[in-house]
Amino acid sequence: MKQADVVSRGLGLPLAYGEYPGAPMVDSEEELRAKVANTLAPGLIKGLTQGPDAPVSPVAAEPTPGSIVFKGTLDEIQEYFYQKLWTDGMPIIPPTQQRVDAFLKFTDRTAEEVLRAVPQEGREVTIQSIALTGVMSGCRPEYMPLLIAVIEAMCEPDFHIEHCGSTPGWEPLVVVSGPIIKQLDFNYGQGVMRVGRQANTTVGRFVRMFLRNICGYRIPPGAGDKGSIGFSFNVALAEDEDTAHEIGWPTYGMDQGFKPEDSVVTVRSVVAITPPTYSGGSKAKDHVQQFADVMGATFTYWSHTGMKRGFWHPLIVVGPSIARVIAREWSKDEVRKFLFDTVKVTAAKATHFASMTSTPTFSLEKLVAEGTLPKTYHESDDPERLVRVFIHEAMTGILVAGDPGRNQSRGYMGNHDQAPPTSKKIIFPKNWETLLPTIKK
Amino acid sequence: MTDITSTEPQYEVLWPLSRRAVEDRATAPRIPDLNGKVIGELWDVIFRGETIYPQVREHVKARFPQAKFVEYSEFGNFYGPKGQAIAASLEEKLRHFKIDAVIVGIGA
Repeated sequence: MKQADVVSRGLGLPLAYGEYPGAPMVDSEEELRAKVANTLAPGLIKGLTQGPDAPVSPVAAEPTPGSIVFKGTLDEIQEYFYQKLWTDGMPIIPPTQQRVDAFLKFTDRTAEEVLRAVPQEGREVTIQSIALTGVMSGCRPEYMPLLIAVIEAMCEPDFHIEHCGSTPGWEPLVVVSGPIIKQLDFNYGQGVMRVGRQANTTVGRFVRMFLRNICGYRIPPGAGDKGSIGFSFNVALAEDEDTAHEIGWPTYGMDQGFKPEDSVVTVRSVVAITPPTYSGGSKAKDHVQQFADVMGATFTYWSHTGMKRGFWHPLIVVGPSIARVIAREWSKDEVRKFLFDTVKVTAAKATHFASMTSTPTFSLEKLVAEGTLPKTYHESDDPERLVRVFIHEAMTGILVAGDPGRNQSRGYMGNHDQAPPTSKKIIFPKNWETLLPTIKK
Repeated sequence: MTDITSTEPQYEVLWPLSRRAVEDRATAPRIPDLNGKVIGELWDVIFRGETIYPQVREHVKARFPQAKFVEYSEFGNFYGPKGQAIAASLEEKLRHFKIDAVIVGIGA
C-alpha cells in the first residue's frame, strides 16, 4: 500500500482503498472469494462510507529548488544522498552549483523553465532538474542539449511516463542519431550496449536517475516503482550511420522522419531482449529468417499485450556485416514485411499467455470486433489458427550497430503502447560551434 | 590512525529534486448510507475483475440492499487502446448515469 500512498500524494488527494491481500492471479476461486469477503469488500465499503483513514500524509516542507541541502566530504555526500533515496545505489557526482552551471552553459533555456509536472510525485521537470540529474549521473556538461531532448521526449503525453513503474519492469532505451553521435563520442561499434563508453553509459544512467528522483519511481525501501523483477538501465544506443549510408539504408533517425544532418534522440521502452542472434549466409533471407525465428521465439509470449492495444514496437539492432548482406537484396521495408508475414503464434497460445499474465477475459474475437486488431486475427474460431505477432508491417525499427567483425544482431521488444518510439530533435545553444572545440575528448 | 576525511575537500550540494506542483485537495464527502445511491465501476480489464466485481456488488448489496451499480462495461477500459479517450469521457458519463460514488480497480 506504499504505492497507493505515493499515488495519493502525487494527486494531492487522499485515496480510500480496499486491499486484496497477495496476487489474485494465483488464488483459487475459494481463496479469492474469501479474500474479497474478508478484506477487499469491507475495505471498499469503508472507503465509500467513511473515507480514507487519514488525509494525504503530509509532505514535509521541502527545500527550494537549487538550494544547498548538505555540505560534506565525498563519502558523506554519498551516504546522505543514499539515505534520502536520491541515488541509484552507485556513487554520484556531487551536484554542486558550479557543476550545474557548467551544464546550463550548454543550453539557451533558463534554469527555471518548467517542461511539465510528472507522475508519480507531481514534481516539475525543469531545465535545472535535468542539469542536476545529469551531473549526478556522471554526464559531461556538453551532453546537456541531448539530455533536454531525452526528457522532452519522455514528457510527451503519448510516451506515457505514468507507466514507467509498471510491473513488467520495462526500461527506457535512448537511441541516438545524427552528427551528435561522433560529436559526443558515442560507441556504435563493438560492445555498443555495454557500459564503458561515457556517453552511452551515463545517458542511460541519467534516464533511470531521472525516473527515480524527479518522477519518484523507487524500489524498496522507497515506493513507486512496481517492476516485479525489472532489469538494469539500458546504455544509450547509437547507430553505425557510416555503414547505413554505405549500404544505402536510411538511418534510424531518417526512419523517424528527420534529415541525416539532424541530431535526434528517440526514447522507447524495452521489456525483453533476444539472445545474441547469429546468422550466416550470403543471401538476405538467410539472415532475416534467423531474425524471425529468434525474435519469434523471444517475443511471442509477450505479444498478447500488444494485441490488447493493437500496438507494440520491436527494434532490431543489425550487425554491420549482416546489414551489408541484407541490403544487397532487400530494403528495410522488405525486412519488415518478411517479419510481418512470417512470425506467427496460434490463437490458443496468445490467449493462454494473456490469461496467465493478467487477463482471463482476453478474446481475439472481441479485440477484432472493437477495432483494436485487424480482421485477420479472427478469421475463424479455430484455436490453432495462426495470427501475426507483428501487428503492423511498419512497426519494426531497424538500426545498424555492433561489431563489424562478427555476424551478430539482437532484437529489442517494446512494452505494447507504453513508451512507443518518441523522437526529439536536439536543439543546440546558439554558441554550440564555439563551445564544441572546448569539449575534452 | 588519521581520519582521512578530515583532509578531504568539502562540497556544498544542491537539492536534487524539484518543486512538487500538486495542490492538496479534500475528498468528496463520503456516503454513510449507500441505499438508493448509484455506484459506478471502473475497471482496467485485468487481474480477475470479471470475478471480483460481481462479488463486491454482492457484499455492498448485502449491507445496502437499495444500492445500485453501473457496471464497468458502461465506461470502457480506461487502461486499453482507447484509454485516454475513455478517461476524457468519464466526467460526462458520471453525470449521465448520476453516479454518487466510484470504485476504481484493479491496481497492482
